[in-house]
Amino acid sequence: MVLNVPYTYHDVKGVTEAAEICLRCGVCCAVPEYGCPAQYGPSYSPTFTYVYDCLGHDEPHRNPSIWQCVSCHKCEETCPYEVRPIHFIEAMKARALEAGSSPESITGELEQVVETGYAFPLTANAERQRQELGLEPLKATEELRRIAEATGLLGLLGRLRK
Amino acid sequence: MRFSFFRGCFIRVRLPHVEKVATTILPELGVELISVEGFTCCPEPIGFTVNHPLTGLAVSARNIALAEEQGHDILTLCNGCTYTLKQANESLKADPELRDRVNEVLAETGHQFKGTAEVRHFAQVLIDQVGLNKIKDKVDKPLTGLRVASHTGCHILSPPEVMGFDDPQVPVKLDAMMDALGATPLDYAYKTQCCGWTLSNYGDRNAAARLLGDKLAAMHGAGADSVNVICPQCLAQLDTGQSLAARSLKLEFRLPTLFYIQYLALAMGRSLAEVGYDRHRVRDPGFEEKLGRILA
Repeated sequence: MVLNVPYTYHDVKGVTEAAEICLRCGVCCAVPEYGCPAQYGPSYSPTFTYVYDCLGHDEPHRNPSIWQCVSCHKCEETCPYEVRPIHFIEAMKARALEAGSSPESITGELEQVVETGYAFPLTANAERQRQELGLEPLKATEELRRIAEATGLLGLLGRLRK
Repeated sequence: MRFSFFRGCFIRVRLPHVEKVATTILPELGVELISVEGFTCCPEPIGFTVNHPLTGLAVSARNIALAEEQGHDILTLCNGCTYTLKQANESLKADPELRDRVNEVLAETGHQFKGTAEVRHFAQVLIDQVGLNKIKDKVDKPLTGLRVASHTGCHILSPPEVMGFDDPQVPVKLDAMMDALGATPLDYAYKTQCCGWTLSNYGDRNAAARLLGDKLAAMHGAGADSVNVICPQCLAQLDTGQSLAARSLKLEFRLPTLFYIQYLALAMGRSLAEVGYDRHRVRDPGFEEKLGRILA
């Protein structure tokens, strides 16, 4: 059964409207001690910040910069106009997956979790270390595959791989 | 206090020594950890949930449902797991329509989300349920004179209305936790700056190294002997990440990073070898010698 639900965690229309009130004041990226980590990227400056890059792109879900966002919420907490750039960027990441423009680090992790139940590969080294420490062995599970089938993720990943 | 023990996947796969220390030490403080068959990845918030929110929510709902079936709240060892599971729990409790949609997906697995369990990070349990006074009573070897820079990490702090742990701009809880062990907590610039693990893994490795360099320099400048974290990804970044960044940034110091439960174990009489320090990438003879004197 595939549920055809156009569900997104954040309301895309709402976050897009919020992005339009960005005043380009730069507060979200102004203070390195408490600010956007992605601002450490080489192309950013006080007059061209990471957040302007994400909010100002013509096709924001195809802007490779969105993948630098770490969802730390600092932009949301410092923005004096309650723009909440994180919600916009996260909504664009979800749209990118539907459009087939997510990087391999994302599609690979989605597949890894769906197939094994773990976000990180179950290596022989991990098993050996666990054994040394007397910890129970790692077990993969099939149940997440059934969930991903019902939500349409499995089908989407299959289409993207073709 | 009984909890369904949510080990997460990063700790199980990459940092099993942290799992080992937690399973030995937490029960000594009256925190009973129940193993639950079938827990999976929370799932990882940035690499998974934001990209396909409905599947992310359903996987979280399944994990929470497994704990509900046991009748316990969840205890996690990870900021990321707490962030994912708490947000899912709150969203699903608050929105019946969303809950029905997710339960329809879960029907395929035989589990249903009911909204009867809470999600707690071990640091929240230690502060709110065990209490710092009880921790002080358990300390055999106070870490007197050890200067520790604590890094709380982003995803236990924000969004504060859901996470409910500490002030995201001026966090103080980890310092109180280190103070309870007798150590000297330090203030430093960049205290609330991200560790950079996510940036390094999904974004820009070099940007993450520069960020980490600034953060470590601030800790070192404040006179830190070592770093304290409560999240496995923060541990990986400040340990393995530091050892990699040290080369590219030519850092002239080394700051060993330990998980809070490792400090707790040391203060309760365990040795560095017993807490798995040998498995860390960044070790420092100066730190080892000072700690040796303190624990002697």
